[in-house]
Amino acid sequence: MADAPVALRDVTYAYGKGELARPVLRDVDISVGPGEIVLLTGPSGSGKTTLLTLIGALRAMQQGSAVVLGQELMGASERQRVALRRRIGFIFQQHNLLGFLTARQNVAMALELDGATGERARLSRAGEILGAVGLGDRGESRPDQLSGGQRQRVAVARALAGAPGLILADEPTAALDRQTGGEVVRLLRDLARGRGVPILMVTHDPRILDIADRIVAMEDGRILPSEGAADAPRPLPPFRR
Amino acid sequence: MNVLAPAPARTPPARGVLPWAGPPDGPVPPLPAAPPPRAPSPLAALWLPLRLAWRQLRFEKARLFSAIAGVMFACVLVFMQLGFRSALFDSATALLAAFRADIFLMHPMTLVSFRPETMPRARASQALALPEVQAAVPVYLAQATWRNPENGSRRPIQIIGFDLEAGVMDFPGLAPLIERLKRPDSMAFDLRSRPEFGDIARLLRERGPFDAQVGNRHMEVVGLIEIGPSFGADGNVVMSELNFRRAVKERAASAIDLVAIRLLPGADPQAAKRRLAEALPGDVMVLTQPELVAWERRYWEDATPIGFIFMFGSLMGLVVGMVIVYQILFSDIASHLREYATLKAMGYSNLYLGRVVLSAALILAVLGFLPGFAASVVLYDVVGKGTFLPLAMDTERALGVFAMIFAMCAAAGLLAMRKLRDANPADMF
Repeated sequence: MADAPVALRDVTYAYGKGELARPVLRDVDISVGPGEIVLLTGPSGSGKTTLLTLIGALRAMQQGSAVVLGQELMGASERQRVALRRRIGFIFQQHNLLGFLTARQNVAMALELDGATGERARLSRAGEILGAVGLGDRGESRPDQLSGGQRQRVAVARALAGAPGLILADEPTAALDRQTGGEVVRLLRDLARGRGVPILMVTHDPRILDIADRIVAMEDGRILPSEGAADAPRPLPPFRR
Repeated sequence: MNVLAPAPARTPPARGVLPWAGPPDGPVPPLPAAPPPRAPSPLAALWLPLRLAWRQLRFEKARLFSAIAGVMFACVLVFMQLGFRSALFDSATALLAAFRADIFLMHPMTLVSFRPETMPRARASQALALPEVQAAVPVYLAQATWRNPENGSRRPIQIIGFDLEAGVMDFPGLAPLIERLKRPDSMAFDLRSRPEFGDIARLLRERGPFDAQVGNRHMEVVGLIEIGPSFGADGNVVMSELNFRRAVKERAASAIDLVAIRLLPGADPQAAKRRLAEALPGDVMVLTQPELVAWERRYWEDATPIGFIFMFGSLMGLVVGMVIVYQILFSDIASHLREYATLKAMGYSNLYLGRVVLSAALILAVLGFLPGFAASVVLYDVVGKGTFLPLAMDTERALGVFAMIFAMCAAAGLLAMRKLRDANPADMF
């Protein structure tokens, strides 16, 4: 698919150099279509996190081709990568909110890089998005005054605030209990789907596999052949260890 | 990516879990198309990092106050060192700066005025050969022992003797005393001398003119003048040429220490200086008054460790302040590495975050300088009164110290910025 938000071909990546090089990705092909929600699963060390950092332009490519939101990452400059990151919403295991800012200011941080908006527009847009994640009344709370689930919802709002073309999430439920984790990812899915934003999410959590349009399993740096999950999220494929 | 294709049919979500989220398959409010990202205006590019830095500093009050205290400490230290330095140099040259003459003659081997080499008195007369010289007054300088009239303790004091009527030398308070100083064994006392010489002003008020012992002679204190103590002399007395010879018997009248020359009005001091230097033999050096003061000052700056000590003290203050600010900024970054890495992942560049750190440093510079400046003004007053040194705050020094503190904080910020490299967003996942 030419205009897929994410299209990777033959991506190979290794840590270390020369004799000590330890390959973590081998000839990975993966694409995410517009509005598609893709879950990436696999045991630790299978390379899924490295893949996510490459797609997120947080790491320089070594080999292959990766087109993300129209930007070829192979050989891209630091400047181009930083510019691309602004068009991607990131959600991490930890909320990583700035402790000295209120929830609303944290969300507005995602908008401060865009010179087109003024301070008032940024804060009102941040307020709207907080309302969409159900925290309209907690905008003036600092992260330490919020529960774990609420903080992760603020992080979701921050990821969505900049109207990103792609959302990358890394085990967003890892620090949350079952009930809260499920609520947060479903909220994320609903908001992203409503906006037509594709999601690529790394997860170990078998309880949230049902939100996916497609599940991609990885092992030893390779994508495992699809097991028919492409069109039917359920029944779940066996969780590989 | 912003075009909203109708969401394809999907399995309905578990209802009730997200009461606020609304039905995902219902009508979706269209998202306004995101405008193309525009570079922030230059003002916002400076203001937003500054605001972020301030919010971060403000959040941790204890850390902010210790940083401000550190900058303030450095600021006070530098102000005091520079204040002492300039006060000591000013006071060292107070006597020479108090003279009112255009040109001076001095023996070229005189290093400093309180230990002068003598020169022939004839040089003063020879200087009169030049038509533009209006008057040339020989000046005698000597140190003698002063006995405190209150408790009898003895201290060396500077004696200055010259022809009072020539009108070449003038000190505040001298003019009305000239007639009385013509009397044998009379002198005028410098009221800014250190208090160890006795409270002469009070004694004068109570007793009128009274006898005091200077050298091995009783002389009458007839009035007060104003010069000020210096390194070389804790106090001064001024007397006529004749009385000087009475007080300092071992000095030959033909051996003088300084010649003060007044030129005719309108004469060019530099030209006169050149002509005097040509006319006079090599045992005198011709100096204008600023040159004489600079000569004296150079002795204290170069031939004594005083200049170095105070520069070193200032430098130490700046280094200590820089280390404190660096520590504060560094630990701020180190304890927020994840947050900084997240900002980088969101598209904030290293340069932007560098501006945040630098802004924090500059905020600390301003917040530390203001109380440091206020404290220094108070300390100048207190210490100046305690040590009789002319400590005074001037705009030039205030601006200079602010520039130093600013540079100190900027250097600390630049050093701390290196820690930002450790905030690697690739390690966040």
